[in-house]
Amino acid sequence: MENSKPKTHVPLSKPIVAVHPEEVPLHGNIVSVKMIARDINAYFGKTHALRNVTLSVPEKRVTAIIGPSGCGKSTFLRCLNRMHEVAHGTMTGEIELDGHNVMEYDPVLLRRRVGMVFQKPNPFPTMSVFDNVAAGLRLNGRRDKTAIAETVEKSLRAAALWDEVKDSLPKSGISLSGGQQQRLCIARAIAVDPEVLLMDEPASALDPIATAKIEELIYQLKQNYTIVIVTHNMQQAARVSDHTAFFYLGELIEFDETKKMFTTPEKKQTEDYITGRFG
Amino acid sequence: MERHFEKELDDLKQSLATMGALVDDQLEKACQALFNGDLDIAAWVIEKDAEVDAFDNRIDRDCQRLFALAQPVAMDLRLLMASLNINSQLERIGDIAVNIAERVESLEDHLNFLKGTKLPEMAEVARIMVKDSLDSFMYLDADLAQRVLVSDDVVDSMNRTLFGTLVEEMQGKEDRVEPGAHLLILSRHLERVADHATNIAEGVIFIVEAKTVKHHARELDRGS
Amino acid sequence: MRGKELYFYRWRKVKDKGMTSLALFCVLLAVIPLFMIFFYTLAQGLGAINIDFFIQMPKPVGETGGGMANALVGTLILIGLGGLIGLPVGILAGIYLAEYGNNKFADAVRFFTDVLSGIPSIVVGVIAYILVVIPMKSFSALAGGVALGILMIPTITRTTEEMIRLVPQSFREAGLALGLPQWKTTLRIVLPTAMKGITTGVLLGIARAAGETAPLLFTALGNRFWSTSVKEPIASLTVFIYDYAKSPFEDWIQQAWAAALILILLIFLLNLIFRYATRGRYGEQQA
Repeated sequence: MENSKPKTHVPLSKPIVAVHPEEVPLHGNIVSVKMIARDINAYFGKTHALRNVTLSVPEKRVTAIIGPSGCGKSTFLRCLNRMHEVAHGTMTGEIELDGHNVMEYDPVLLRRRVGMVFQKPNPFPTMSVFDNVAAGLRLNGRRDKTAIAETVEKSLRAAALWDEVKDSLPKSGISLSGGQQQRLCIARAIAVDPEVLLMDEPASALDPIATAKIEELIYQLKQNYTIVIVTHNMQQAARVSDHTAFFYLGELIEFDETKKMFTTPEKKQTEDYITGRFG
Repeated sequence: MERHFEKELDDLKQSLATMGALVDDQLEKACQALFNGDLDIAAWVIEKDAEVDAFDNRIDRDCQRLFALAQPVAMDLRLLMASLNINSQLERIGDIAVNIAERVESLEDHLNFLKGTKLPEMAEVARIMVKDSLDSFMYLDADLAQRVLVSDDVVDSMNRTLFGTLVEEMQGKEDRVEPGAHLLILSRHLERVADHATNIAEGVIFIVEAKTVKHHARELDRGS
Repeated sequence: MRGKELYFYRWRKVKDKGMTSLALFCVLLAVIPLFMIFFYTLAQGLGAINIDFFIQMPKPVGETGGGMANALVGTLILIGLGGLIGLPVGILAGIYLAEYGNNKFADAVRFFTDVLSGIPSIVVGVIAYILVVIPMKSFSALAGGVALGILMIPTITRTTEEMIRLVPQSFREAGLALGLPQWKTTLRIVLPTAMKGITTGVLLGIARAAGETAPLLFTALGNRFWSTSVKEPIASLTVFIYDYAKSPFEDWIQQAWAAALILILLIFLLNLIFRYATRGRYGEQQA
């Protein structure tokens, strides 16, 4: 399937909330959109996990998804790269990547364009640091050793890990610290050159210093990748994201620019959650 | 690892510095216009007010955003809190500069009288206080800020002296009453400028030493 | 500590020591027979062990000396053939059951695997007789290999399935998220991770097969002469032991003990080789 990218300029105004029309240099009223989810209903057997969710993911920005436990944020994330069905979930509605319906896409190819980083760092235990990063390339058939080595270095640099591991590339992937392992997983995901990076609570298993490094990394990564991050830590969402979506009990309650959401949210539910009055 | 938040704080300080430079310029030119009866310069000062107000709004919004999104603590928090205050102090100094400029026309025929008083001296002291308070913010220099606090007393006493002098001048000389009234108000303006500079300096001490020195704690015990 | 606390404390310590001792005793109980077997065999068989034993063929009846060279090689060949059949089938079946086995068909497969593991080995020998010996019209190493292979399958399958199930789901997800198809994820990521555990299963299977005697009686039969041909009957250590142990000759009986010792050592050696050969550099599942 060819990678034609129609620049879908969609005003980010949805029935729920409009983008704040501020005079900020980065955002205007119109932002180009990378992925769109329309009327998503997701199920695990009989459990109705997502209800009528409609959301646009802006390109090359960080979009955070917040909400209390069980509100469906991870489920939604996994719908974006069709990992939801791997866990035997079902879904109705449409999800588009650059205007193409992802359900008509080979899921394997989709996941090379939409990568994922998980909550608990999971470098492959039988592989070295180098092999871990190269895994996506090699196992997808690339053979050129020079190209692979270059890509590994580039990915490790982009993940802010190169300086720390450049002398220990042959060491086991699991010999690194937790924060380093997570950055290794990010490098591994980046190595296959995705366009979108999905992150499911990437820092929740890490200590504060490692978390800060990951957050700073995300801030830099958004220059090249569209990032969607699920987090249960809303201060993290505030620090790191450009747009925030608030989910509650499977529904999208509010979606807006982060700075508006955290200073003047439109809905009382959002305000209650953000101020810690519930959830 | 430099956090992008630190960069945003730097940008904020820079904005305040720019605004401060603008206001300082306004004040200088307002005094210059006053003592030389120059209406063109006075007009310039008045025009600049819109720009100062725009800075004020933007810096307020930036501070709000930084509070909400970055959850600052410790010195970052104090810096942000003080910035909000300094912002409004600068805006008021700008307003006073405009007020001074607005009186230039009324006093252009009375320059000798004007220059005969201590007003030029007072203006000079007030201007230096503003400049020093801004420098102390840029370099987070608490000692410089402390010197600004001390200067406030000087300006206060100059104000009182000038009041007495002007009242004396106005008694019995009808043609001196109107300009005298203007001069009284100008003296008050300059005293207010000095107060605002003092508030800025107090903000700087708050940032650096986490001490609140408001309301004339002049003999403050900075050793404890 | 006050009186009552002291009393309970002391009583707890007594119980603690008692349980530890009991556990230790049970361990010894379990381990002692193993050592007894080994050392008894060693004592009985060591006398007959010499170079000849490994190199020479069995001597004709009446003559002393000779060796079990053909039986040793025969056992190795039979294990090899059995492995050729049992390993692929067992491992692939195990992978299927673990990764794709959430349906009724897989349940049935598991059930029959368990049944198979319970079938007496002599019956398996009969099955191999029917499947291989009769069509070939002769006893053969191949038939023996088939019998042993069938015996290996249940153990290898079940262990492989267990070990693969133990691999955390997060690695599969990571593989899929990189854009790898399911089969590649299983083969290149899950399988290597489970390899160490699978090795144990394979070893267990092979050890069981190596020690079988009954099925070989109908299939490989035995051979007093040197043969490495797959289509011919072949000697094996276990049949050798059987034949020589029930003979009236003192000499032969001692050779049988020696062969038993060798068999034990062989399995031990196989264990070491396997573990060394499939040692990862780091971090597989510990079996």
